[in-house]
Amino acid sequence: MAAYSLSTDSTTNIPDYEYLDVNTKPFHIGSFREEWLSRLKAGNSSYRHEDDDTFDANFAKEMEVGVETMTELRSVCSVDSLRCHPEDQQPDTDVVPADSTLKTLEQRKKRQDYKASLKVTKNRHDLYADELERLTFGRKPGAEADLVPEGEVILSINVYYPATFEKFTYVRPHMTLLMTGSHTLAELRDAICCVSDLQVCGEFSNTPDMAPDFISKDHFKSAFFYFEGVFYNDMRFPECQDISITTIEWAKTRNFPSYSQAKMEDTRFVDLKVKVGFPYLYCHQGDCEHLVIITDVRLSHKDDCLDKKLYPLLTHKHRVTTQKCAVCHVFIGRWVTTNNQFAPSDPCLFCDKCFRMLHYDADGNKLGDFLAYPFVDRGAFN
Amino acid sequence: MDYCRKQVKSDCEELLSRFQQTESVRFEVFSKIWREMNFSHIFYGTLKREKRAFSRLVLDIAYSFFLPPFSFQIRVGGLYLLYGLYQCQTASPPEQIRLALKDWDDVKKFEKDAVDAQHYDTVYIFRKLMSLKAFHFTAMPTLLAYQKKRKVERSALCEDFLERASRPQELINIELLEELSNIHGLYEKMKTSVSSISEQANSSVNLIHKDLMPRLRSTVVHFYNWQQRKDGAEEDEDSGEGTSSQQECSIRAERLASIKSKAYGQAAEASKSRRHRQVEVDFTSSEAGPSNTPGPSRITKPSLKARTNENVHISGDVWQEATTTTQINRLTSLDSVPEGTASSHTSEMFHTLIHWTLFAALSLFCMLTCNMSMKLKA
Ligand SMILES: [Zn+2]
Ligand SMILES: [Zn+2]
Repeated sequence: MAAYSLSTDSTTNIPDYEYLDVNTKPFHIGSFREEWLSRLKAGNSSYRHEDDDTFDANFAKEMEVGVETMTELRSVCSVDSLRCHPEDQQPDTDVVPADSTLKTLEQRKKRQDYKASLKVTKNRHDLYADELERLTFGRKPGAEADLVPEGEVILSINVYYPATFEKFTYVRPHMTLLMTGSHTLAELRDAICCVSDLQVCGEFSNTPDMAPDFISKDHFKSAFFYFEGVFYNDMRFPECQDISITTIEWAKTRNFPSYSQAKMEDTRFVDLKVKVGFPYLYCHQGDCEHLVIITDVRLSHKDDCLDKKLYPLLTHKHRVTTQKCAVCHVFIGRWVTTNNQFAPSDPCLFCDKCFRMLHYDADGNKLGDFLAYPFVDRGAFN
Repeated sequence: MDYCRKQVKSDCEELLSRFQQTESVRFEVFSKIWREMNFSHIFYGTLKREKRAFSRLVLDIAYSFFLPPFSFQIRVGGLYLLYGLYQCQTASPPEQIRLALKDWDDVKKFEKDAVDAQHYDTVYIFRKLMSLKAFHFTAMPTLLAYQKKRKVERSALCEDFLERASRPQELINIELLEELSNIHGLYEKMKTSVSSISEQANSSVNLIHKDLMPRLRSTVVHFYNWQQRKDGAEEDEDSGEGTSSQQECSIRAERLASIKSKAYGQAAEASKSRRHRQVEVDFTSSEAGPSNTPGPSRITKPSLKARTNENVHISGDVWQEATTTTQINRLTSLDSVPEGTASSHTSEMFHTLIHWTLFAALSLFCMLTCNMSMKLKA
C-alpha cells in the first residue's frame, strides 16, 4: 500500500490546476471522493430516479411556495418552453437546418457539403467506436453484489503505445480504460494489451509448431507502474522481480529525490496520490514503456456501466493498420524471415498459411535455407 | 470536435448577450430568446458518435458561464443555457454536465443567493438538474490528457459579462468613513496631547493627511464615476449594431486596443513626472535620521528594476496625490534595514498597490498607531 500520509489541510485534496488546462496538482483519490460525498446530499449521487411529483412537492415545501406558484413554475420551466418547432411536427435532427443564424450550424453545413463532395464513407474506426459505446451505457449487473456502489470513484485512464511505434508527437495512439476506485493496479496491468506481451522470441524455422508456446507474457512477468515518486511492482508470481530497483539505485547515486516501492496488487486506485492529466509510466517486458495518463476522476453515475464484472472497461482503442502477408496480401503477417531464397525481400512477412505452404513440404520438413521468427502485428488486438 | 469551439462559444455569447440586454433573470425571458434563436437546432445534423462529442463540447463551454468571474445575471443565463442544452441534446443517454469539486462552493453560493433573492425559477432549474442527475461530480471541469495548446489562443472572456468590480465601494462605505473620521479625531487629539514638546517631534508624528477622509471618499467616488463613464461609453458605441458581425468584432477590438494604449500612455506620463519624486525618496531615506527637510535634489538614475517597477505601475496620478516624500520616508525609516534596500523595497511594495488599497493601508496604519498610543497612555 502506498505510504502516503493524508494531509490535514482539506484543500490539498480538492483538485486544482498545476498548469491551466493541462494537469492538476497531486491529490489523494480516496480523500477526493470523501470531499465530494461530504458536500453532497445522499440523493445527489444516488442511482435512483426521482419522479417529478416528488421533486415538486419537496421544492414547494422547502421554498415555502403555494400550489399556484408551483403550477406556474412547472409550466414556465418545462422542456416544452424550449421547443423550437411546432408541437405536431417532429423535425429531422440528422439534417442541418437551412438558413440558421447560429454560427455553429453555418460551419456544420459547410463542412457537410464539403464532405459530401468527397464521397468518403464512414471508416471502420467510427463504426467500432459506436459499438464500444453502445455496450457501456447503463449496464446493470445480474447479481446485486456486482453492482458498482453509489458514490464509487470512476477513473478514465489512457495508456499510450510506446513512442517508437509512431511519431508520438503527431498522433498519440492509445487505449482508454474505465476503472473503479476499488480496482488494483494489477487489474489495470492485466487489462493493458500490448503486442510485446505476445511477442515470441527466438528463431523457429526448424520447429514452427513450437513457437506459440513461447509467449513473452508468460515468461517475463515483471512490470511496474510509476506514479508520484512510487514504483508499484507486480509481485504476484514467484518469478516476478523488482525491476524498479535498478532505477531506484541509479537515482540514489545521483542525488535524485528518493523513490519508494509498493506492490501493484496491493494498491487500489483510491489509495493513490496522483495528478490528473499528468503522464506517468507503465513498464513491462523489461523495456516496453507506455505513458499512462489518468484523464478523469469522478463519482459514479446511474448511466455508467454499473456491472463491476465488466470493468476494466475498454472505451477506446486506437486501430492501427496491420501489415499483410507478402504473398496473399489478405492475412495479417505471422512470420518474419531473413536470408530467405524464396522471399521477394529481406526481411519478408508471411501469414501462417503461406509461410508453411512455401517453406515446408507436405510432411512438414523444412525446404531450403532461411531463418524464421514469429511475428505479432501491433494490430493484433484490433 | 474542437474545430467548432469558436462558433459554439460565439453562439452562446450571442444568446447570453441578448439575455443580458433584458436585464432580467426570468427563465421565461431566457426561453423566449432561446426559441427566437432556434437554439435547439445547434444539435441538429451531428451524426452518430459526433452527437456525444458535440454534447460534451457545448456543455463544457456553457458551464464556464455558470461560474465566476461572470456577473450574477450571466451566471443565471449560464445555468439556463446548461438546462436547455442538457434537455435538448440528441445524445442518448444524455451527456452529463461536469461539475468540478473546486467549483462546488461557488455553485452553492450562487444557489443561496438565488434562494435569498427568491428567484424561484433559478432555484427550480438548478434543483431540477440535480434531480435529473444531470451532473457528473468530477475532479476537473474537463478531461485532461496533457495536451499543451499548439496555438496559444487564450479564449478571451467576454468583458461585458464580467462582474463589475465593486470592492472599493463596498469597503469604503459610509460607516467605515464615519468610523475612520472618529478614530482620526481621537488620534489628532492624542497627538497634540502627547507631543507639545518640539516642532521636530511634532512633525515626526505627522503621518496621516489631515483631510484623509474627504480624500478617501472622493477617490472612491472618482473611481465609481470613471467606471460608470466607461460603461456608458461602451453602451453608446454598442448601439451601432446592425453592421456585419465581422466588422463589429474588429471595431470592438480596435476600441479595446485604443483604451488600453490610452491607459498605458497615462501611466507612462505619470511615471515620468513622478521620477524626480522617486529619486528624492531614495535620497532622503539614505540620510541618517528622520529629517523632514528634503535634501538637495541629487539626480541619481533609478535602477533598471526601479524603472521597470515604475512602468508596470497602473495609475500614477493617484499615487502622486496620495503620498508625499515625508510619508514614505517615515515608513521606511521605521525599519532598521540598510537604507538603500529598505527604500527600494518600500517603493516596490507601494508600486504594487492600487490607489485605494494604499488609502486603506494608511488608514489601517493610522488605526494601529492610535491603538498603540492609547495603550501606551493607559
Ligand atoms: Zn508494451
Ligand atoms: Zn498469406
